[in-house]
Amino acid sequence: MKQEAVVKKKKRTWKQLLRSRQGQQTMIIVAFSIIPLLLLFMFTYLPFGEMIKYSFYKMKYVGPREFVGWDNYAALFTRKDIVGALKLSLYYIVGAIIQIVLALYLATILSMKVKGGNIFKGFMFFPYLINGIAIGFIFRFFYTRGFVFDTVLQWCGFQLDNLPYWLKNQSINNWSLVGTSVWRYFGQNMVLFIGAIMSVDNTLYEAADLDGANKFQQFKYIILPSIKTILTLNIILSITGSLSAFEAPFVITSGANGTGTYFVVMNTIAHTNQKVGLASAMAVFLLMIIFVVTILQKLFFKYVFRNSGVDDESVSARRKHKKDMKRSAKMQQKGGC
Amino acid sequence: MEWKKVAALSLAATMTVALAACGNTAETNAGDSAASSSKSSSSSAEDGDVISYGDIKLGEDYKDLKTTIKVFNNRTDMLDDDYAGTNWASYIEEFNKLYPNIEVQVDASTTYAEDALLRLQGGDWGDIMMIPEVDKSDLGTYFLPYGDLPTMEKQVNYATKWTYDDQVYGIASTAVSRGVVYNKKVFQEAGITELPKTTEEFTTALQTIKDKTEAIPLYTNYAAGWTMGAWDDYIAVTATGDAKYMNQVFLHTQDPFADTKDGTHAYNVYKVLYDAVELGLTEDDYTTTDWEGSKGMLNSGQIGCMVLGSWAYPQMQQAGPNADDIGYMPFPMSVDGKQYAAAAPDYCYGINKDSDADHQKAALAFVKFMTEQSGFSYNEGGLPIKAGDEAIDEKYPEVYQDFLANDIVFVPDEPAVKGEEDLLNTLNADSELMVAGGGNEKIQSLVEHAANKDQTFDEIMDEWNQKWSGAQEANGVEVQ
Repeated sequence: MKQEAVVKKKKRTWKQLLRSRQGQQTMIIVAFSIIPLLLLFMFTYLPFGEMIKYSFYKMKYVGPREFVGWDNYAALFTRKDIVGALKLSLYYIVGAIIQIVLALYLATILSMKVKGGNIFKGFMFFPYLINGIAIGFIFRFFYTRGFVFDTVLQWCGFQLDNLPYWLKNQSINNWSLVGTSVWRYFGQNMVLFIGAIMSVDNTLYEAADLDGANKFQQFKYIILPSIKTILTLNIILSITGSLSAFEAPFVITSGANGTGTYFVVMNTIAHTNQKVGLASAMAVFLLMIIFVVTILQKLFFKYVFRNSGVDDESVSARRKHKKDMKRSAKMQQKGGC
Repeated sequence: MEWKKVAALSLAATMTVALAACGNTAETNAGDSAASSSKSSSSSAEDGDVISYGDIKLGEDYKDLKTTIKVFNNRTDMLDDDYAGTNWASYIEEFNKLYPNIEVQVDASTTYAEDALLRLQGGDWGDIMMIPEVDKSDLGTYFLPYGDLPTMEKQVNYATKWTYDDQVYGIASTAVSRGVVYNKKVFQEAGITELPKTTEEFTTALQTIKDKTEAIPLYTNYAAGWTMGAWDDYIAVTATGDAKYMNQVFLHTQDPFADTKDGTHAYNVYKVLYDAVELGLTEDDYTTTDWEGSKGMLNSGQIGCMVLGSWAYPQMQQAGPNADDIGYMPFPMSVDGKQYAAAAPDYCYGINKDSDADHQKAALAFVKFMTEQSGFSYNEGGLPIKAGDEAIDEKYPEVYQDFLANDIVFVPDEPAVKGEEDLLNTLNADSELMVAGGGNEKIQSLVEHAANKDQTFDEIMDEWNQKWSGAQEANGVEVQ
């Protein structure tokens, strides 16, 4: 009898809990979040976990698997093509830095009063809208001997005989490819910067003008601190992107002639050679590198901007900022992968 | 509080619906698979009913069969009305004269190799498919056997392409040979009257073309990739005259890329390419070659020759006004004074194992029609598929006139011995050479090294030999 009473009491509390405001809240939260969480788990974390598992096997897509422990990871450091591909990323990282500097410079100019500023913005943002594969084909013809690029240079007085083979010459073909990716992405970076700069309160410039600050000082002490969040984000995304450069080398040179970046090599290993285990190990390793690089950058910027508190920004600027961040994050999501 | 109740109710309702939906699909799936398994079991029960490929008399058997079959294949171009050759609609029209009640639906994909594998996994892909790259041991799980090997060999050529456990699962749609597509006019202008028969003669001919004409002697098509991988197709029959080389001998050869000093074997095939690049007999900037453009260039005489399968011949003819200038010659390599040409089946028709008996019968009839009566292989410039036709000169399309004139022997590759069906794939994957399996990079690097002169040909061949030996060792392959 006593036991029954206990059960009854518990049951009532459970029901009560459900009816209570807090219980309802929890239920709604759980109900709403369970589906997205389930999807996230199924399509992101579960496959990723599987991939980590694969990286310890010697396996093809079909057929038997053999557990090999850390062999695949060891191979990452002994294979010439993989190590070489990682070194290639340096080209793209340099490209990313050039891209950011260029974008920041143009954004600063364009955010001041410039005639035809919107047209310039449009033209420079335009490449980002073109499909990456199409860009690959465009640049294959662009760099072909005696085609677009060579013709333009000949107008400027260069002799064709003195010009290098842009894709054949192994000492410059990677720069040619980096060039295409800078051309494609700097416009997007620039637009994000402009968005951030626009949110800076105009009165700050007026005050600075009154104090006799020149444009460079305004840039250094007003603009740069105000857009540091977006700057950090852009740099992180660019560096991450340059570690995983794929489209340009894949379409333009199909990774041949010493232009095989990490992703291109990974693609060949996974799909042509069917070494799924090794390719998974490469993917996991790249993720580790990206983690490390991102953390290092975070620390670096923490150090660089240690003196500029958030107080410099007005509340409205900050709010706008957050919006920009969100928007850019969204754009990256759409553009990325 | 009222709205909250409504919200909670509607939420609960959505969730139940969602859950119910999940449950439903799961159920129907289960039902489907149950149905299909019962279907397959019933079809196997009726196996006595299904006449094997060899026993079908076209136009007599299954005359009253009323059904619709779906064909999935790689020829998107043949779906168009303005296709230069015979398109699918015309073939089906012919087929319907024999079988008016069988409707044939053709579906094609431009990225066939991947799509076919995906659809194969999905299961519900129709009745006839061009068999994609699956392991031979898996054939039986997807496809219906046409009959055992000895019977089928009396019916069709290349029956061994998709054979497992003595059962034939695929019938070739067409077959191609390997040679060199060239521009006759360029060769004439250079004063080359006799086609080269050895690699030295070939290199000399290329040099003559360079000296006497404006044309690029040999176009590598480096950038396209697969055009480079095509060189692998010449190392077996063409370079050795041995039908067993590719799938049997090659696997067990110690250093297959070593110099045999008699102008044959893989070493000398690749050496043709290396020498041509080193001597500047190929295009100036190989990294920006353009496959589509190269067809027109060959047609107009800007290119002397390209090393490609016979399937390329009609495309070169159609690429410009000078169709008559295009010729196709055997690969310049003689084994003991005789020239051989590989004959390789293209995609093969496979029939869905899980279709019901009526569909399977109709599919069998269609495959037999395509092979024996449609003239498909001839129309597409291919070698005869029906057994016995290879002895008749008229069954060879005009592309092979240089081959017939020079008494070239067509030899198809023999399959691997039992138990080694997948060994070539394994060795290829482990060595990463991917010989005749998409190994474009290794040949591209050959061109790069020849152009940059940073690695000699022998060094490259040594490297390949090492990789091959490594793979042989790792898999415990007996080596001679």
